[in-house]
Amino acid sequence: MDGKVTVGRTAGLYVGAAVLRLAIFTLLPGIPDLLTGRVEISTPVTSFKRLQEGLFLYNHNVSPYDGGVYHQAPLFLPLFALLPNASSYPIFTYLLYIAVDLLSAGALWKIADSGEAASSALFTSPRKERRWSGFVIAAVFLFNPFTVATCIGRSTSVFTTCAILHAIAKAVSGNPFGAMVAISFAGYLSLYPFLLVPPLVLLCYDKQRSGRATKSVIPFAATSVSVVAGVVGFLFGMSYLITGSWEFLPSTYGVQLTLSDLTPNVGLWWYFFIEMFDSFRSFFLGVFWLHLSCYVGGLTIRIRQQPLAVLTLLLGIFGIFKPYPSISDTSLFLALVPLYRHVFPLMRYTFVIAAVILYASFLGPAFYYLWIYAGSGNANFFYAITLVWNLGQSLLVCDLLFAVLRDEWEVERPEMVGKEIRQI
Amino acid sequence: MSTENPSPLPSSDAPPSGFKNPPPEKPSDIRRRGYVILSFWLIVALLGLPIWWKTTSIYRADLPLQEMLDWSDGKACRPVFPLRISIQANSLQDQEAQNLLRLTQHALDDLNDFAGHHLRLQLSPPVGDEPVRATDNGSALTIRLSPGEATTATLDPYEPILDITYPPNNIPSPTASSSALATYIASQLRSTFAEEQATISYLLSTNSMPSEHRPLGLSPESAESLAKRTTRSLKYAPTYHLTFSLFTSGPLPSSWDVEAAIEEYMKPVLDVLSPIHNFTIDTQVQLYAAPGVQNDLLYKQDLSSFINAAEWPLSPSIGGAPTINFIVFVGNQTIVTSPETESGGSQSWLIPQWGTVYLLAQPYDTTHVSVETLKQPMLTFTSHLFSLLGTPQSGSLPLRLSTLTRIRSADLLLRASSTLGSLARLALALPSISIPSSVADGVSKTMYHLRLACDTLGGADGLAHARVAEAEAERAFFEKSMVGQLFFPDEHKIAVYLPLLGPVAVPLIMGAINEFKAWRKRRRERAEKGAEKKKE
Repeated sequence: MDGKVTVGRTAGLYVGAAVLRLAIFTLLPGIPDLLTGRVEISTPVTSFKRLQEGLFLYNHNVSPYDGGVYHQAPLFLPLFALLPNASSYPIFTYLLYIAVDLLSAGALWKIADSGEAASSALFTSPRKERRWSGFVIAAVFLFNPFTVATCIGRSTSVFTTCAILHAIAKAVSGNPFGAMVAISFAGYLSLYPFLLVPPLVLLCYDKQRSGRATKSVIPFAATSVSVVAGVVGFLFGMSYLITGSWEFLPSTYGVQLTLSDLTPNVGLWWYFFIEMFDSFRSFFLGVFWLHLSCYVGGLTIRIRQQPLAVLTLLLGIFGIFKPYPSISDTSLFLALVPLYRHVFPLMRYTFVIAAVILYASFLGPAFYYLWIYAGSGNANFFYAITLVWNLGQSLLVCDLLFAVLRDEWEVERPEMVGKEIRQI
Repeated sequence: MSTENPSPLPSSDAPPSGFKNPPPEKPSDIRRRGYVILSFWLIVALLGLPIWWKTTSIYRADLPLQEMLDWSDGKACRPVFPLRISIQANSLQDQEAQNLLRLTQHALDDLNDFAGHHLRLQLSPPVGDEPVRATDNGSALTIRLSPGEATTATLDPYEPILDITYPPNNIPSPTASSSALATYIASQLRSTFAEEQATISYLLSTNSMPSEHRPLGLSPESAESLAKRTTRSLKYAPTYHLTFSLFTSGPLPSSWDVEAAIEEYMKPVLDVLSPIHNFTIDTQVQLYAAPGVQNDLLYKQDLSSFINAAEWPLSPSIGGAPTINFIVFVGNQTIVTSPETESGGSQSWLIPQWGTVYLLAQPYDTTHVSVETLKQPMLTFTSHLFSLLGTPQSGSLPLRLSTLTRIRSADLLLRASSTLGSLARLALALPSISIPSSVADGVSKTMYHLRLACDTLGGADGLAHARVAEAEAERAFFEKSMVGQLFFPDEHKIAVYLPLLGPVAVPLIMGAINEFKAWRKRRRERAEKGAEKKKE
């Protein structure tokens, strides 16, 4: 659309987003703490409050995992220990979170400008002219209320978001090594991004610079995986040096794998495992994790021609089915969806999806209030609304998948463009 | 969604005239679909099935089921209490004494119909005037024979000694086949141990002992009174907690000399009981305590609701040990024992398995309850404590205590055995229940201690072993991870698996079947084509 983006407009967007966040932080001082306590934003594995607890223990030379409150990666601790105390000088923490958001937006901008979504190495959409510029996509991300709320709530998932977006940005700009390092960081912080490695490797493979390209995909994948293993090993080693023991492994990844903290969140796991018979608990943990990971193979094979679409869809699926989802995962998915502007006309349920997501966003907090504070509802109220919320997200994932496949199919069968089709 | 055939096909809802068949699928698409389905199946087969196998397999430790059942059926151990009775006859010749002993043993054997409880006489070497202590030679009772005016028998109140006097001409001649003195001694012994025998035979009969060990001759009346006494007494515990409470209906009295009173009247008894039980004690005073019944005259039916359980601070048990409550209530209530007299007869009553209430009438301005005032309540509490502990009522104190030891050992032994049996039957009845190794551990410990207890039944060691065995058996039976599965039949597994795995399995299986059918069709077509080509 608008091809020339001046330096002034870029700066304006970033400054606008930063000022909006800073204004909320400083002018409404009650809001950050309120949002920090919301279950929709802060999960046990991303909560800023729990980070403060871990930080306090760390600063007093006690293992941060004592007491079973802190479940986040150990490398957060030295980073936040460098900043002045968050309660007396909160401004530095605010600035850090704002900077992370802007970095994510920058990466997203790069992804959008590469045009990878509409024309990948193996596939070019006939509708590729219809797209938004990086400016618009970055603006949609930065001013998305979910993103803003996550930033204000200071959930540490923003770091994961930033790492994932940077991994994709590095991949589309032909820097496989950088992409693998970034995805290792993301996986180190929240475990589930490791599942993004297969499509990301394919994306890197497709976007290799022609100069020193590896011909076969298998050695390339092996190299990439060993880079990931190396970086993760290095990060684990650093964590071991910082905390002095391997205790962080069960306390961070163990909690995600075994769901030992059943604090309610917007996901589907907590209610299920509250109700589960103890003797079947470990079996269903296995089932849920396998369910989460089984989409990777199928989607990667099916949409081999558009690895970025696979990454987008997987992020949507993870936002629904991962053990501790929050609106931060949805905001990441919603940041990548506008890249597929060209297939929006092929989507069938946009209105329903928008309505369901809005409905759930407004009713979710209300139902949580009814359950926890007013006492006039019970856990089923909140669980029902999270079901609706996830229904909306899964509709969006399915519809986007449908649109992407239809787009591919119309290249194959040009005579069918615009005709009604039926899936069998 | 992604397991379904992802290639959309043109719809056929156009009018039939314009109907057009879709072009055949490209081989690359077919292969890709195969890969997609394969990727899901690989995850199911390579990860899902091992996880299912690993997480739902049941660990069942090996239990010696047959031995456990033998214990509970009484086949492993015949509870036999061989009681040795010493006869001390300083004034008799050795020959005469031997003869008397033989005759008495005959008479005893004739009288006894219960093999489990066997009295065996032995002659103790004549010593001086020093009384022989029962514990020194392991005998339960010593009979001290001394010549006297007439045939009399008295139990020594402080030692387990039965003093029997006999006229000198009653000594049986060496050739006599029966003797009045021998019969007399035998019947005395029998009546001394009658209660113990009855209690033990009652215990055995209420348990699932095989009938040949069961004594006959337990009359219904005595069985009923024994049942009453058993229900009154508390379950055996190594430690009991005694709570002494002073409840007053008004502001006074507000203090009592309970410590001195316990020291003086209760402590000796507790010391005597210490080989069998430990006791911990606390006391409390509560003013303005309203009883559950406000009438001045308490009839029999009021007594059960007198305790104001809602308001009085009587905690059911402190620190795991069962609590026995002794309550002194200062008020103006009196107990009416029979409706006609309307005058207060007794002042206290015993609440089975719970404790005792004593109504103490005091002038209304008494501020302090002295030791002397507490004497009668304390003595009442002491005698009620014996009932609550299940001590037999007849006989001298040392005999009653040694009887208590034996009764409790038998009781614990039987209870541990029956718990073992229940555990074995549970393991047999529920093949899908998991048995952690801690249970097997507990079972083997139980059986080890049961064996030792069975061999040393009747002594202090027997009680200690029976105690350990019972505790271990209870722990093994009430293992936490097993209790949860007790009510989990196999059919429930369908309800657990189906709601989630059913919907997941349908597309997986349908996809695999469709793919397989298509593959077979393709192969047949190829074969036909090949055949046609050959024909041509």
